[in-house]
Amino acid sequence: MVSVQRLTKRYGDVMAVDDLTFSLEAGTITGFLGPNGAGKTTTLRLLLGLAEPTDGEALVLGRRYRELDQPAQRVGAVLESNDFDPGRSGGDHLRALAIAAEIPSSRVDEVLELVELAGTADRRVKTYSLGMRQRLGLAAALLGNPGLLILDEPANGLDPAGVHWLRSFLRSFADGGRTVLVSSHLLAEVAQAVDGVMIIDRGRLVAAAPLDELTGGGRTLEQVYLGLIAGRTS
Amino acid sequence: MSAALRAELFKQRSSRTGVGLFVAMLGLVAFVVLLHGLGVDAGTVDGASKQVTMLFGWGTVFGALFAALLGAMSITSEIRHGTIRPTFLVNPRRREVVAAKVWASMLIGAGFGLVAAAIAMGVGAATLRARGIDVLLGTGDYALLFAGGAAAAALWAAIGVGVGAVVRNQVPALTGVCVWLLFVENLLVGDIAGVAGVGRLLPGAAAKAISGQDPDVLLAPTVGLVLLAFYAAAAVVAGSLATSRRDVA
Repeated sequence: MVSVQRLTKRYGDVMAVDDLTFSLEAGTITGFLGPNGAGKTTTLRLLLGLAEPTDGEALVLGRRYRELDQPAQRVGAVLESNDFDPGRSGGDHLRALAIAAEIPSSRVDEVLELVELAGTADRRVKTYSLGMRQRLGLAAALLGNPGLLILDEPANGLDPAGVHWLRSFLRSFADGGRTVLVSSHLLAEVAQAVDGVMIIDRGRLVAAAPLDELTGGGRTLEQVYLGLIAGRTS
Repeated sequence: MSAALRAELFKQRSSRTGVGLFVAMLGLVAFVVLLHGLGVDAGTVDGASKQVTMLFGWGTVFGALFAALLGAMSITSEIRHGTIRPTFLVNPRRREVVAAKVWASMLIGAGFGLVAAAIAMGVGAATLRARGIDVLLGTGDYALLFAGGAAAAALWAAIGVGVGAVVRNQVPALTGVCVWLLFVENLLVGDIAGVAGVGRLLPGAAAKAISGQDPDVLLAPTVGLVLLAFYAAAAVVAGSLATSRRDVA
């Protein structure tokens, strides 16, 4: 699904992403962990064609994202929780994207129903709570019914019921054979939802393994994580 | 019509920005034309081209200005609010997105230009008549004011998209367009560094020329049209290159 080879992104003297190599298998949920500033978001931006790598390559379904045909029908992504025009309604935000992606407008109603925003779709986004914005962003990512979902910190701002909802949503999404890459720094939330874990620190991959392998020997994900990035405070 | 263009037109329709700019333009054109109509000395509006230059041509200036702001905001507001990210995720062919913004802004911009011309004519004519001054415009003058106003605004809308794509930050982009059109160009009218007539080659002067203003100083309307089209093309190419090459934050 996703193949990242020696991916590198340098901003001046700062190596935001440093020689990163990993791949994702279909039908799995992978947690992408690391301290703030470790390069998680930069990696996702490179993967999604929003930024160009300094070196190496990031392929989605065998191609660079910017060369994908009908990307919205293949990949859904949410990078920021507030990428909305506050003056536009939630429904119109989705409609504009659906038109651009040539997705029928009936699908807009479906995803609104799915994220439980059908009743508030006509309200302007400025009236939405953070949790509603997270769900609207997720609705946009799901418009094209993609097989790969890439989410950056989707649990931020969700209340416990919202986190529970997100987790069961991701589980059913992956159980249908689809793939999820989810970055987070909320270890407890991640541990309950993912099959595999990748941990990066200062742009470098420090661990990549199935969750049960990492946490073998009775250690919690938090203990493993803190052991790997010891001596660093973020 | 391409999906990208339909999406851009829908974005314009589903936001209040365009309406706000339109209303502001109406008010400003009416106000400025009214002030000039009441203030001008009767001797300075005793011919058709003088009336266009002193009074009716203000529609072209403000049509172009507000169309440029609309064009610039079509991209800077997406950058400001972050919607540029989902926009480029759905359509990562960024040049296509910029082109769609150019066409959508030109289409709406042309409408701005037509309405601004109509308001300027209506208010200008009413003001002159109230003062007992005859409106001396012929059919050709009217045609030039409408067609030229629409064309100038459409081309300035394209310039606005280009400027917005290069500058990216909303406030400097919009301020820059306003300051250039309303202030800088007025200072540069005439000779620059001793070279005669360079001011008439600037994009704002070209817009005025298209609608038939000041024929003794400015270019002929068709020459102004071609020149402004070159400016618009250059701005769009620069904006398109900048957008496709630079990373999205």
